[in-house]
Amino acid sequence: MTLRNVGLVFAREVRDQLRDRRMLFTVVVLPLVLYPLMGTVMVQVAQFLRDHPTRVCLIGTKDLPDEPPLVDRDRFHLDLVDAEERHLLPVVIQPQQPGNIAASLAEVDAAIRRGEYDAAVYIPPGFAEQLEEIRRRLAEGADSQQAALSLKSVPSPSIYFNTASDRSQVASQRVERVLRRWREAIVRENLRKSRVPQVAAEPFQLQLTDVAEVRTRRAAQWSKILPFVLLIWALTGAFYPAVDLCAGEKERGTLETLLASPAERTEIVWGKLLTTMLFSSSTAVLHLVSLTITMIVFSRQFAAQSHPTMALGMPPVGAVGWLLLALIPASLLFSGLAIALAAFARSTKEGHYYLTPLLLVMLPLMLLPMSPAFSLSLGSSLIPVAGLLVWVRAFIEGHYGEALRYALPVLLVTGGCSWLAVRWAVDQFCNENVLFREGERGGLRVWTRHLMQHRRATPTVAEALFAGVLLLVIRFFAMMFAAAPQQWDDLLRMVTIQQLAMVATPILLMTLILTNNPIYTLGLKLPRPSDLLVAVVLAVTAHPIVLWLGSAVRQMFPMGDELQAQLESVGNMINQAPLVWMLLTMALLPAVCEELAFRGFILSGLRQMGHKWAAIVISAIFFGWMHSVFHQQVVATFVGILIGYLVFQTNSIFPAVTFHAIHNGLALGLSRWESTQIIKQPLWQLLYRTTSDGLLPTTSALVVAVGVIIVCGLYLYQRPGDVLPEAEAVTGT
Amino acid sequence: MVEVEQLGKTYDDWARGPIQALRGVSFHALPGEIFGLLGPNGAGKTTLLRILGTLLRPSSGRARVNGYDVVVEPSQVRHHIGFVSANTAVYDRMTAWETVEYFGRLYGVERSQLRERMELLFRRLKMTDIRDVLGAKMSTGMKQKVSIARALVHDPPVLVFDEATSGLDVLAARALLATVRELRDQGKCIIFSTHVMREAEKLCDRVVILHRGSVLVEGRLNDLMQQFGESDLEELFFRLISDQEPQREADERGKVFAEGVAAG
Repeated sequence: MTLRNVGLVFAREVRDQLRDRRMLFTVVVLPLVLYPLMGTVMVQVAQFLRDHPTRVCLIGTKDLPDEPPLVDRDRFHLDLVDAEERHLLPVVIQPQQPGNIAASLAEVDAAIRRGEYDAAVYIPPGFAEQLEEIRRRLAEGADSQQAALSLKSVPSPSIYFNTASDRSQVASQRVERVLRRWREAIVRENLRKSRVPQVAAEPFQLQLTDVAEVRTRRAAQWSKILPFVLLIWALTGAFYPAVDLCAGEKERGTLETLLASPAERTEIVWGKLLTTMLFSSSTAVLHLVSLTITMIVFSRQFAAQSHPTMALGMPPVGAVGWLLLALIPASLLFSGLAIALAAFARSTKEGHYYLTPLLLVMLPLMLLPMSPAFSLSLGSSLIPVAGLLVWVRAFIEGHYGEALRYALPVLLVTGGCSWLAVRWAVDQFCNENVLFREGERGGLRVWTRHLMQHRRATPTVAEALFAGVLLLVIRFFAMMFAAAPQQWDDLLRMVTIQQLAMVATPILLMTLILTNNPIYTLGLKLPRPSDLLVAVVLAVTAHPIVLWLGSAVRQMFPMGDELQAQLESVGNMINQAPLVWMLLTMALLPAVCEELAFRGFILSGLRQMGHKWAAIVISAIFFGWMHSVFHQQVVATFVGILIGYLVFQTNSIFPAVTFHAIHNGLALGLSRWESTQIIKQPLWQLLYRTTSDGLLPTTSALVVAVGVIIVCGLYLYQRPGDVLPEAEAVTGT
Repeated sequence: MVEVEQLGKTYDDWARGPIQALRGVSFHALPGEIFGLLGPNGAGKTTLLRILGTLLRPSSGRARVNGYDVVVEPSQVRHHIGFVSANTAVYDRMTAWETVEYFGRLYGVERSQLRERMELLFRRLKMTDIRDVLGAKMSTGMKQKVSIARALVHDPPVLVFDEATSGLDVLAARALLATVRELRDQGKCIIFSTHVMREAEKLCDRVVILHRGSVLVEGRLNDLMQQFGESDLEELFFRLISDQEPQREADERGKVFAEGVAAG
């Protein structure tokens, strides 16, 4: 790759984009006008909501006490309503049908739904009477006060409103404030009548003192908004240029011109990638600037009148610097993903369709840090995008020590994801099936005929990915509808049904329908005895590492109490089951069914990507995802990678089944033996130690395990894996 | 100059299954010669030329351009070939001058030489009046001139024209054919793909006729006409293709019958 060619492609693409008026509008004009316009609209809407009077109906006025008054003719009493809301709460007194409260309420209920009233307040019969009784007892003295404690409470007034109507909700909030003040006034009146000083009910006032400096308060305010805005616009800003530079060029026929030039594919991708990054960053920065200015202006104009401390000032200079620094890896990641997706599209129109799935994947990662419970930790720093966002937030808020502590994991994860995205983009540009994808004749009939007539020995990559997604979807619905097991036999029955009906059956059907060589697809070739031996040794030695990894994950991402209780309950059920049944159902059966699915069908399809480790990791991620709890998912993904490598090198599913069955069996067996005398045996104590976090391996066991795994890895590495017959796999011609 | 040996290309198609776009195609094209690549639509001409341009990789066989293998040394091949095709358009948002200059720099031509070369090309191809016109504002003929200038800017020894006259009016097509002849006279090796027989008749020294990815005949035009007793290339082409179609239909019928017998 020569930088000169990258620079040439970059310069041309930038010039080309700058000459596109639509692009300029999206990148430059839109951010500058969007927020002021949005602000104006919001002010108008807010004025409408704030100023619009809401009509409230009052039923049961005859049961209102004289003191303190709730209404004053056709309004709530002035003492109970905020000054600015006094003209907004007209009250309509509803005449009550004599002796028929239900009919009156039904009438009001219908009137609110029709929109005639926005809310209604119902004072129940006996309200004033009961209140007066309490006051009378309180006024009579200490003995009566004692008796007053045994009195029934005053019947509760009700507020009727309609959650389907915004106006009704606003009205209910206003009325609720009025009634709370009225209740406080009633308490004050009660105290007065019983000659108890008010200080008895309200002995002190809370004084709130904000110790935050203006600078840090501003930083905290901005830290919640700016990183999110920056990333969302970096993503959106990357997509439109990427679509134009890839799908657009395909459509216009200029991509082939460029591909025929001496520029290497990598140079072309980097040129386009840098252009996309430039526009992504520019869009994000312009949005940031425009939003910041608009928010400052509006906060000074409006919020500051009622809450002067809430007025936004300029964000700290340091915050801007950290944001711009974080923008580089973020826009690289988004640009790589956008270029890879856009390269797949045949036209601009098709390219735009791919924006939605990308947004759907990225949005939860960007919204996650908005939760107050999400803070910077080792666990959160390992989550792509979300980790970066919360890391930048820590910098903006001035928590430098904390931010620097997690700098390495955040940068490694973000850098790793960016590298994968760029690699994917380069792969797309080197794939002639992607670049010269012709318009295929679509239609269900053509597609079905293609699947049936042109079956291959092993599934295609798309079929493997589809199988993975299908298993996840089936599992999701199974979890939604399955009842939680109460007894061990329920649990074993549920696992058996899940494995046979929801894992094995779909995979075997797909194998029979989509491929013509189930032996190769499912890896049913007999292994060498030495391969099986290695599988046994690997499973036994990997177990301490898996235990340690599980503990590390639990420390990084602590479990909630409810989840922990659920897992304990399942663990108890497993321990109550007879050993043989438990091993057959929870060790052997999943080993067979899941290996046929993940290392059989899915891995044999994914290996046609031509990237060994990508195939192993993707199949392992699907395998991990099939587990219910996040902590199990991480550990299962690690185990999936080990088993995937085993299958890749031995070309047989049987070592994988052996590994899986022994691994599950050990996990189940150890939890049962943990409560027996076996833990006092010297061998046990050499290998395991019982801690507050459960069973963990000793350091010596971990060292030995790593050593043995390396030896097994070396054996597998030199093992000449057979080549699957993809080349001669095509039939049906 | 261009050597193609037993070249094959297979790709998957949803509706038709695996397609053999090229089946063992072989030919040699020499310097100072216009080598015609003839065939009906779907014959595999574009696939073959895309392989020569290193845009696609062959499934089997080999091809060399000016001594460089298209699989082993694709970058060298691209430096020694000029590629003009109906699929290689010009940029809408760049002027003729900017487009040619961009590719000249990508080909590694020095700035001073590039300017001289571009002045020469723009004069020779009569493009001086469209020098500052954006691609989007050009007619089809103008765009084709820019494409030719772009392909010639690095003065390659081999030039590929794939359906280059497609969409051109008579005047523009004649001008293009005259340019191709001039280039031949300068000693370039030219591969000229077309399905218009009149063009091939006027232009080509030797031709190869492709049909469904296979070579039907190859040779000098006069020799081929003598060999098949035809005086017109179009008639010869039509006869060769017509001879193949019944044969192919018979083969297909035989295959279906054999599959039926095998299935019992």
